[in-house]
Amino acid sequence: MILLEPHNVIIQTTVSEKLQKPSSLDVVFVDYDNVRFHLSTPDRKTVLLLSMHIRCWDELVKYGALDVLQREYGSLLSNQVEPEYNVSLEIDLEQVPADPEAREAFVMSLALLKRNALAAPFERGFATQKALEASAGQGELMQIHYRDEEAMYIQAAPDRVTVIFSTVFREETDRIFGKVFLQEFVDARRQPSIQNAPQVLYSSRDPPLEIRHVPGLRNSDDIGYVTFVLFPRHFGNAEIAAATISQTQLFRDYLHYHIKCSKAYMHSRMRFRVTEFQKVLNRAKTEVATTERKTASGRTMVSR
Amino acid sequence: MSVLAPIICDNGTGYSKVGFAGNSDPSFVFPTAIATRGSASQSARAPAIPSKPGHLASKRGVEDLDFFIGDEALANAKTPGYGVHYPIRHGMIDNWDHMERYWEQTIFKYLRAEPEDHYFLLTEPPLNAPENREQTAEIFFESFNIKGLYIAVQAVLALAASWSSNRVTDRTLTGTVIDSGDGVTHVIPCAEGYVIGSAIKHIPIAGRDISQFVLNLMRERGEMVNVPPEDQLKVASKVKENYSYVCQDIVREFRKYDEEPLKYFERYDGEHSVTGRKYGVDVGYERFLAPEIFFNPEIYSSEFLTPLPEIVDDVIQQSPIDVRRGLYKNIVLSGGSTMFQHFGNRLKRDLKQIVDRRLDANATASGSHLRSSGVDVDVISHKRQRYAVWFGGSLLASLPDFYTSCHTKAQYDEVGPSICRRYQIFGSST
Repeated sequence: MILLEPHNVIIQTTVSEKLQKPSSLDVVFVDYDNVRFHLSTPDRKTVLLLSMHIRCWDELVKYGALDVLQREYGSLLSNQVEPEYNVSLEIDLEQVPADPEAREAFVMSLALLKRNALAAPFERGFATQKALEASAGQGELMQIHYRDEEAMYIQAAPDRVTVIFSTVFREETDRIFGKVFLQEFVDARRQPSIQNAPQVLYSSRDPPLEIRHVPGLRNSDDIGYVTFVLFPRHFGNAEIAAATISQTQLFRDYLHYHIKCSKAYMHSRMRFRVTEFQKVLNRAKTEVATTERKTASGRTMVSR
Repeated sequence: MSVLAPIICDNGTGYSKVGFAGNSDPSFVFPTAIATRGSASQSARAPAIPSKPGHLASKRGVEDLDFFIGDEALANAKTPGYGVHYPIRHGMIDNWDHMERYWEQTIFKYLRAEPEDHYFLLTEPPLNAPENREQTAEIFFESFNIKGLYIAVQAVLALAASWSSNRVTDRTLTGTVIDSGDGVTHVIPCAEGYVIGSAIKHIPIAGRDISQFVLNLMRERGEMVNVPPEDQLKVASKVKENYSYVCQDIVREFRKYDEEPLKYFERYDGEHSVTGRKYGVDVGYERFLAPEIFFNPEIYSSEFLTPLPEIVDDVIQQSPIDVRRGLYKNIVLSGGSTMFQHFGNRLKRDLKQIVDRRLDANATASGSHLRSSGVDVDVISHKRQRYAVWFGGSLLASLPDFYTSCHTKAQYDEVGPSICRRYQIFGSST
């Protein structure tokens, strides 16, 4: 698994299970970046209530998340939002399309709830870029504080959309891994095979020019900024745009996942080395001479 | 911001149960299997190294990311180039490389959680070596940077799970756990949350053997003629799961079935998994004979002949004398193979007989007129038996105490892996 999947597996499996056999249910689970879900059947066994809590909800609403969700889920959006959560979907299992393919697509769309909510600022950014093509100037700088210490900034310009992630590493080793990894990321783009990929810039400590004026930016050693420059070819048609959004918004988790994978890889190398060294050490042991000692009558002496 | 739910991860030999605290069922139950590149026999080979120095990404491949876990691993077992491994053997972790990657994908692909934001509760078998615990802690704290870790003994969690039963009045961690999964059955005595290691006993009869026994019975009666050979074991295990129960008296049960076969015989209908051909089998005596192998093992095996109640009694008799009453009073069932109807009642009755007989023999041998007041024997069955260990973990991790019992990342950084040699028992002040 190199890329993380955009959909939530728990929603997918649970809802498809319940479609086959409705039963009462009450589960809580999470997704990346402090997103909390609650899936329950408050009234009847056939009506599922899926609620989501997302840290940056107010910001997302400001950038049009409600419109995106309205478009994706339509009448499923519940007017009454469960307390402590930001958005609720009401799924009547009896009204789900019966056709297996349509059903699968429906379940998948539910599993993409978090992705769709976070897609709003991206879509607005892409739309602003279209509008700016004719005129000129800069779009609004959209800030999404999706974690306590980390944020995502999206800004549209006449010819591109810039996405900036700030990343904080709590651990010293992670910071090194992250630095190497991000540098690799920038270098790998120079390969001829991926010339069409978005441009990636990495700067540690100093925020990029686009966001330098934003108040409250931390200026410490453990922070780094990754900038993606998305050109119209990355969001020209709807399909590519959707893939771009799914991949870009998971970037932080992707980065952390790969840091952890690299560590696991290093650990497996280390374990292998240790066993090799142990073999060498074992070879170096001198063999104890074991000659059989016997008494005069021919009986064996047993050492205890 | 409220704290995100802790993650409960119960990795067993056969299946892993993972999910979030506060739920009543694990979110995922899948085989503890990992399918990696390279055949199954080549597991000892060194991991690939970059052939040339330079930019790692372009030189080194991504072989270490190319693997599947759980159901996907088994589905890919036949794919050329992949080999399936089972990183846990007899409850203990055997291959740390595979286990680390297994956890990696469990967390990132299935749970979709950032481990840095979560507390973890893991389980270990009784008598696990402290070194294993240290290794686990190293992986979780250093690879995954988790917030805090608690490693609990499975038997203790099973005891905690029994608190959900309405028959349990005092929440105690003293009791005998009968844990019967697919491969082996353990009888584990616990006193105040500590496992009495010297008294543990294993029984080589568990779910797999029951299925095999059902299969033998049905073959002998000629029921399996209609069933395609590759489906036979599956049919047997379905029969075991759906129709079996524990009877109180075999002879009477046989008579009942012979007098009114129409009332007691059931019909199982199946469909061939490939051709879709329908078949049906009659389910008869195996309904009550299947779980009987716990109580009369001689009907199935010739090597292991001690009935389960006797084993339980032995285990308790080998435990220190001051906890024996507590152990008899709180016998807790856990695992899928203890789910048979009336299993608890039968065990309780048989055990009570053994205990009473011993008390009587004692009284006659001593020749005095003083009579013992008797020993309470009680077997607790509850609704959450199948995933009792996981459920116990979910229960304990949703208590506010949990966070204070955990070892946090800061403590780990201060002390090192040896901090995980000891864990605070829930509810104790020390």
